[in-house]
Amino acid sequence: MDCGMAQDTTVPKLNFEYWLDKAVEWGQATTLESQKDVCLHLPQLQEFLHQLYETIKHLVLLDQRGKLEKQSQQGPTAAIQQFPLIGQLLGRLCWNPFVIGYDESQKTLMWCLCCLYSSEPQNAVELKANSWIRSLLCHLLSSSKWESNEAETSTFISALGYTSADYYCHLVKNMVVSLVTELRENQFNGLSIQENISASRVNAISIFCVPLITLPDLTPLLETLLLYHGGSSKEVLSSEFLEAVNEAFLKKKISLPESAVFSLWLRHLPSLEKATLHLLDQVFSIQLNSLEEVACVIKDSLLPQAASHPAIFRIVNEIFKNALMETDGTSEVMTIIKVFTQLFLLAYQNENKQPKFPLKAYFPYHHQPLVRSLVRRPFELSTAYWSQHVKHISDMLKALVEDTNVSSLTDLFEIWFLVACFGEWLDIAAEQLLKAAVEPDPVLWLLAFYYCPKNENQQRTQTMVEAQAVYNHLMMLFSCADLSLKDLEAAVRRVTGIEQCCNQRLTMHLLTNFLLFSSGGHKIAQECIYHITEITDTSKEVYNLLIHTAYRLNHSGEENQRTVKLMNELLQKLKLKV
Amino acid sequence: MEAVLGQVEQLPALLAVSRSALVRDWDSLTLDRALEWARYFQHLHERFRARPQLREALSRRLRRSQPCPLLGFPALGRCPQLLGLALLENRALPPAACRRLLRSLLQPPGAGPGSDPRGLPLLARRKAAARLLAVPRRVPGPEPQLQAEARLLLSRLRQEEQQDGEAAGQLRWRSGVQEEQRAGEAAGQQRRLSGVQEEQRAGEAAGQLRWLSGALELLPQPRAFGVVAAALALLKQGPGAEQVGDGDRDGSSSPEGYQESAAGDGCTAGLLLSWLLGNQERFSAFCLGLPGSHLAFLAGHYPQLSRSYLDLLTGWGRHLHYDPLQGRWVKSCLDKAELSWEELRERFICLCQRSRLLKEQTQAALELLRTQDGDFKVRGLSVWGDLLMEVGYKCVNTKAT
Repeated sequence: MDCGMAQDTTVPKLNFEYWLDKAVEWGQATTLESQKDVCLHLPQLQEFLHQLYETIKHLVLLDQRGKLEKQSQQGPTAAIQQFPLIGQLLGRLCWNPFVIGYDESQKTLMWCLCCLYSSEPQNAVELKANSWIRSLLCHLLSSSKWESNEAETSTFISALGYTSADYYCHLVKNMVVSLVTELRENQFNGLSIQENISASRVNAISIFCVPLITLPDLTPLLETLLLYHGGSSKEVLSSEFLEAVNEAFLKKKISLPESAVFSLWLRHLPSLEKATLHLLDQVFSIQLNSLEEVACVIKDSLLPQAASHPAIFRIVNEIFKNALMETDGTSEVMTIIKVFTQLFLLAYQNENKQPKFPLKAYFPYHHQPLVRSLVRRPFELSTAYWSQHVKHISDMLKALVEDTNVSSLTDLFEIWFLVACFGEWLDIAAEQLLKAAVEPDPVLWLLAFYYCPKNENQQRTQTMVEAQAVYNHLMMLFSCADLSLKDLEAAVRRVTGIEQCCNQRLTMHLLTNFLLFSSGGHKIAQECIYHITEITDTSKEVYNLLIHTAYRLNHSGEENQRTVKLMNELLQKLKLKV
Repeated sequence: MEAVLGQVEQLPALLAVSRSALVRDWDSLTLDRALEWARYFQHLHERFRARPQLREALSRRLRRSQPCPLLGFPALGRCPQLLGLALLENRALPPAACRRLLRSLLQPPGAGPGSDPRGLPLLARRKAAARLLAVPRRVPGPEPQLQAEARLLLSRLRQEEQQDGEAAGQLRWRSGVQEEQRAGEAAGQQRRLSGVQEEQRAGEAAGQLRWLSGALELLPQPRAFGVVAAALALLKQGPGAEQVGDGDRDGSSSPEGYQESAAGDGCTAGLLLSWLLGNQERFSAFCLGLPGSHLAFLAGHYPQLSRSYLDLLTGWGRHLHYDPLQGRWVKSCLDKAELSWEELRERFICLCQRSRLLKEQTQAALELLRTQDGDFKVRGLSVWGDLLMEVGYKCVNTKAT
């Protein structure tokens, strides 16, 4: 066995000196600055310790294999040769309660110490090192020779048949209860505060909690801190604390009651932003099978429920808007926005605890009658009334948009965004066109507006005209039982042709509905959609459209089983293409 | 079963050895064996904790094997930690064995059932948490450290109660059956039987007191007093507030269990009080060391304590005499008088502010003493009269708790 070869493995470049300097600088973390600095570096330090351990472990293993050599050195010696100051580093870190209290750092530190312990010490230096390691471990786990009062307690407790594990379990719980009581008694109750706790004390407590956030014993204290409101208007909790709690919550390392989470987001804007962006990432990463899944993820994030606070709603909405603009209106973002708005409405309407905020608080710059119409859930109205409602929305919208006051693109975008959020009514509009006896023009105008809001070069007007043509064409064929692809050629060509995008999507929407809801359309649905998605790059759009329709059908109790069955088949086929 | 009982007897010896210098001869194999034993004991604990009779048998055997029965059935459950930490602290353990110990403590091979792989890192984390959260307290009451020690003491005492209760219960049941069988026995035998039970119970109580004394003597006296005071206070804060983490208290969820535990609490309190009140010097030191408000709280909840405390205070009061030149009460014999006038007054005021009942008791006692002194309501003639005046003045708006 040639051990020389094994030495070839490159030791990853560890930034040892940097962390040793940091450890020296922090000392035992007794000043506020050092405490804040430690808190900021805890995750990276943990990563570094992990890498350090892997390195030493590797070295130790190598060395043990090298026992065959004459000058067999003990495993730990190799590690010390590589990192001569490792003792200093580990020792200092063991005395920093922020480091020990954090996540898994204490485990890795103890593993490192274990690695450096030699089972056959050859000389006085190694003996001393062994002794020092044991003292450090005792300091971490039981009674330390450096802390005199711990010895008495330890003897007493072991006489009772318990270990330091039991003792510290109780001790931490007691301390938490004590702090929680103190904080709760000092709540600002609107009358007068006794000023028993100063803002700096609460701030200090919040910093001490940073490494301990994922320790389950601390959850009551975290909750109390998040809900704490002293008399001052400035934020009294440290930002390191708020960020760390948010991180832990988003990664699902802790669970907090809803009120605490809402309070966190209300008092710390960056946390809310991070939570929203995290949600977007999450939804993007899941395989879009059904809107139910998306709804589940969004609901779990607690953002729709939090959005009952108008401030939160408006910020989240802004972030979604920006995301939409940055991705050029991609359908996934639009989906998220629509589902989010639905869930928000659900939470808002079910909220019967506190006095509700008026709708104007959530949509302050919009035409309130329009808002009220859009907020009505379809199930609140009888189906017979739906087309009238859609017409009502369309008329209001038309009046707003064609009013000369709405001149800027920004205003137009805002109105368009409002309508787009409440996508349910748009889907219903498209369906009603084909299923019910409606006056087509207002409905078509609504759809035309959604797909092509801008009208500087008469794009919308043009879209409207073409939409009417498509509609007439499809209505003629609606009652035909036997159809072939050729009959739909005119409509299909609009979709597959290299024409304006708005027309393409509107036509696709109408066409899809036709295929799903007309008897003749069922037979050629698969063929038609296959044809379209072969030629154009619209599989994702069509898939999206179908998913939305499926979601609505599932929730509205569509009786037509054939439609549902067809829907599922189409989705299956398309999923493979997307 | 006899084999198991025989093995369980070895537990105290194992732990004793692990703390002694005998480990200097251990090698890694010996250490492995010791840890195996510890895991085996833990396994026994898991198997038998829900089976009262077997558990009782194991406990009895354990106690018999110790000169001073400190370890109980729950000690079996935490044997790996007890052993591991004891060995870690034992400097006589040679390096090879120690290395093996460290590896198995911190990197358990493959977490078996019942072993807690998070155990030691969690302990280190909690210890760090205790240092971080040790901000100076603003909430009145005993410090968290004292409270933690008190909780452990209480839960240990409760185990004793539970076992004694079960043992006494079994004894009563058994003797009851015997009585039924010998229905026509003379009353004399019955009396003898119950007399034996009484002796047994008295003997057990005395044994427990010895044990408690022994345990409390391990702490420096002021701390021991703090722990006992905290324990007595905790007992009055209601049940359910103190549960040892691993659910040693089986069967306490049923309503009968609840009543039993309430009764058990009474016995535990009784034991603590008999330790406190059994020795006059000790009790005196206890009362001197604790602040008046805290003692008043305890006196309000424990009648025996309030009586003895009042007696103590009046004893101290007798050592004050009035100095007309200075116009106040001073200590007469400096080595016997423990409290100054001001301190005495403050303590009486605390008592009266505690509760109406306590206030009435205190005032009644003071009035009686003043009457014995001649019942003069003039300052400077009777320390009791002066105290009554101060107390009456201060406690006009006492809040009855």
